[in-house]
Amino acid sequence: MSEVVLQVRDLSVRYGGVLALSSVSFDVADGQIVGLIGPNGAGKTTCIDALSGFTTPSARNPSFSYISFLGRSIDRLSPQSRVRLGFARTFQSLELFDDLTVRDNLRVAAATPTWISTLTDALWPKRKVDAAVEEVLELLGLDRFAEDRPEHLSNGQRHLVAVGRALVGKPKLLLLDEPAAGLNPSETAELSKLLRSLPDRGVSVLLVDHDMSLVLGVCDQVHVLDFGSIIASGTPEQIRSDPLVISAYLGHGSSGVDEPAPGAGSES
Amino acid sequence: MIGEYSGFILAGLGGGAVVAALALGLVLTNRATGVINFAFGAMGMYVAFAYFQFRDNGDLILPVIFIPSRIHLLATPTLFTALLMAVLLSAVLGAATYWLVFRPLRRAPALASVVASLGLMLYLQEVVRLNFPTGSAATVVRMGVLPERPVRFLGTAVTANRLLLVVFVVLATVALTALFRYTKFGLQTRAAAGSQKGAMLVGISPDRIGLINSMIATVIAGIAVILIEPISGLDPITTSLLVLPALAAALLGGLSSFAIATCAGLGIGMLQSLILGYTVRPSTSWIPEWVPRTGLQQAVPVILVLIALVWRGDALPDRAYLVDKRLPSSPTPRHVTLWTILLVGATSVALLGFDAAYRQALIVTMVSALLALSIVVITGYVGQISLAQLAFAGVAGFTVINVANDGLPFPVAALVATLVATAVGVVVALPAARVRGMSLAIATLAMAVALEQLVLSSKGFSGGVAGRSAPRPVLFGVDFGISARGADNFRPIFGFLVLGVLTVSCLMVANLRRNRTGLRWLAVRSNERAAAAAGINVARSKIGAFAVSSCIAGLAGVLLAYSTSTLSTNSFMVIGALVALALTYLGGIASIGGALIAGLLAQAGLFTLLANGGTDGKAGTYVFAISGLGLIVMAIFAPDGITGAVRQGAQHLQRSLGIGAQPPQQTLLAGAGAGAGAGGGTGVGAAAGAGLGAGAGPGEGEPHHE
Repeated sequence: MSEVVLQVRDLSVRYGGVLALSSVSFDVADGQIVGLIGPNGAGKTTCIDALSGFTTPSARNPSFSYISFLGRSIDRLSPQSRVRLGFARTFQSLELFDDLTVRDNLRVAAATPTWISTLTDALWPKRKVDAAVEEVLELLGLDRFAEDRPEHLSNGQRHLVAVGRALVGKPKLLLLDEPAAGLNPSETAELSKLLRSLPDRGVSVLLVDHDMSLVLGVCDQVHVLDFGSIIASGTPEQIRSDPLVISAYLGHGSSGVDEPAPGAGSES
Repeated sequence: MIGEYSGFILAGLGGGAVVAALALGLVLTNRATGVINFAFGAMGMYVAFAYFQFRDNGDLILPVIFIPSRIHLLATPTLFTALLMAVLLSAVLGAATYWLVFRPLRRAPALASVVASLGLMLYLQEVVRLNFPTGSAATVVRMGVLPERPVRFLGTAVTANRLLLVVFVVLATVALTALFRYTKFGLQTRAAAGSQKGAMLVGISPDRIGLINSMIATVIAGIAVILIEPISGLDPITTSLLVLPALAAALLGGLSSFAIATCAGLGIGMLQSLILGYTVRPSTSWIPEWVPRTGLQQAVPVILVLIALVWRGDALPDRAYLVDKRLPSSPTPRHVTLWTILLVGATSVALLGFDAAYRQALIVTMVSALLALSIVVITGYVGQISLAQLAFAGVAGFTVINVANDGLPFPVAALVATLVATAVGVVVALPAARVRGMSLAIATLAMAVALEQLVLSSKGFSGGVAGRSAPRPVLFGVDFGISARGADNFRPIFGFLVLGVLTVSCLMVANLRRNRTGLRWLAVRSNERAAAAAGINVARSKIGAFAVSSCIAGLAGVLLAYSTSTLSTNSFMVIGALVALALTYLGGIASIGGALIAGLLAQAGLFTLLANGGTDGKAGTYVFAISGLGLIVMAIFAPDGITGAVRQGAQHLQRSLGIGAQPPQQTLLAGAGAGAGAGGGTGVGAAAGAGLGAGAGPGEGEPHHE
């Protein structure tokens, strides 16, 4: 078996009296695309927030490693330190920098600043062309819009900018929070093609979405969340036929065991 | 032991009560409309002035300029009619400010409402100064409302009016709490504060709610300031600034609890009075000699606020934090070389050709522009509202004088002073890592007050009221000093020194803005969570920006020290910091051109000199009142400032002339291409731009697409 990139053990998050995430454990192996699905309010975004450092897990045993990345515990790291280790994420609401052009949205994420860089930036009038930024712009077909501001782009293009901003720092693991929300079917198809190409570029993916066709179509391994707990795990085929999943997610008594995907795909 | 101090504590009840009353009003307006009104003290101040005028001779004086403001209403006003008039007047004032100023700003960023309320405060202060003459003949006899005879209370003598004021505030607190908890109106207000859209859907009018609450709040403020007059006096500026301790109290109550705000307000008043009493005692010799005793009285409450703010703060805003509010647009600086040559050339010609008065105004303009540039960096680019910039300048100004008088040569002394200001800026930045928006504005204001009261007012540091003088700056045997005899005064060579510093600073800021540092700043301004997800250390970015900005402010302070014969603490009062922020906003807070325009508009700058020249000095009379009104209008209608308005105007003109007639997508690409050609643009070999961009707007003419 290939190397484990992300190892999650016994991860819980509590918001006030609500247990949003309850003892969740799973792995993401190198080159894998792992899916996390579940109905609204199941704790999917909370899981991504906790993994990327935006939410503090409730249980904090200092000697236990809840989240390990490339074999090292990252429980106590800030969001930006996790990014520097190779951890990138997108947001459900995209959260693009609307004041910046598409290219600048990517440039911001491309390099790690140092204390000295403020000084050199002040003295240097010309900007350097950043190969990593140009490469990602080209990969996503965004080079034509590089000087536009995100607000002038279509919804699908804005989603690509969000993915591009996450990819430009050459992450080892990409956490995607509902990347297909609001996309039309052809845009979703484009996106799944892109996702499938990521492992070849050295990027493992944790994909959160409730678009069943996307998740079941591109993932190697799928976990189903409901009320903060993982209720099922397995390959897409196993998930399709799991009775617990069908009742929790697809609605009770659904007979479409063999083809649950197309119907659920329009949900956003 | 307690007995010794109980007199001081009880004497502080009066001051505490007015702070509590203003805090109540702040909490009320915040709960009803979501804005924090910096002008709240000024509103109470105007009502009190109007009351005492009316009580004296029955004249009502309206807060207007240019049109007659005096209306004779009653021949023999009584206490009752005067109070009735005050209540009606404050209700109308509250309604008018809500409808005209804060209602349009409900969904605007915190910066816009800060600026608008600063504008309102400036306007009211000026209107009172202009419309309520203070000459000996016109002096109004201020007849107090409450009895002032001493009564025994807890074994100590205290005047009755202090106790009655407390009773008034406590009754108001109880009434408001009951109103919010038990009435339908209170429920509706809470609902509208939670979600305006939701409230409208269930048939609640947020406008009616906001209007009524604003009226109640202003009445409380007006009455409290009228009642406090015999105890603390009444003055356009100091009374307006009562809003600072009131904000402290309101913040301690989380801007939502009436009871805590009142208790905190009373506590602050008593604490100040106690500090005053304590520090004059001989047994307090352990307090270092350099600490100004009155300063301690002012500074302790604001330091408490600061601690409360930081303690309540959070390193990153949570998921619900609003980020979709539109901020002033910050175009990439373009045609930098061209503008540098043009502006430096024109300024050089002016320095050599102007007479002494205009040279002086030009130097003032350039120093003010430098200060405004520091605000552009921290507030325009990074979105951190800092009201401490002038205090940084003050620290640098007195440091350069002190170290230069100790024998350090000119450039070294200037460098040391600038570094000291930078270090102070970094310290002030630390709360910014956890506090944002309006709270940060208040935190930096608290820092500014603390610096002013404890450091800048310290005799050992600044020479107190008398001030201190810098030796002439001499570099390689060349005298750069500003002063000379007669018409040679305000020597051009000093002007060139200032021009050099300003030019280099502007160019460095332009470079920062175009490089990754500037992009990170804008990213932090735009969305802190997304910035962190992009690997940006948000706290470090903010601290770095504060360092750059306070360094520039420090340079301005150094130049100010060398440009005045005697530098005194008065140049660095908090009110000046508010004006500086306001003028920068007026110019265009997120662009370098905006800083330059702010310099032109500054007091004693070129614009006021020109305006005075054309109107025989009358323009100076109205300049603050008009700029106050201008600020309100700009905050509502033109958040991009004058540079933004000109930029849009230029695009409009081009469009109507048919120059930029391409469809939007194409003009976007074309504009960027033109920028790359001018050496400053964003493009990395983008399409060759022909259409827009080539001649757009002054300063930084990036097309602004809506």
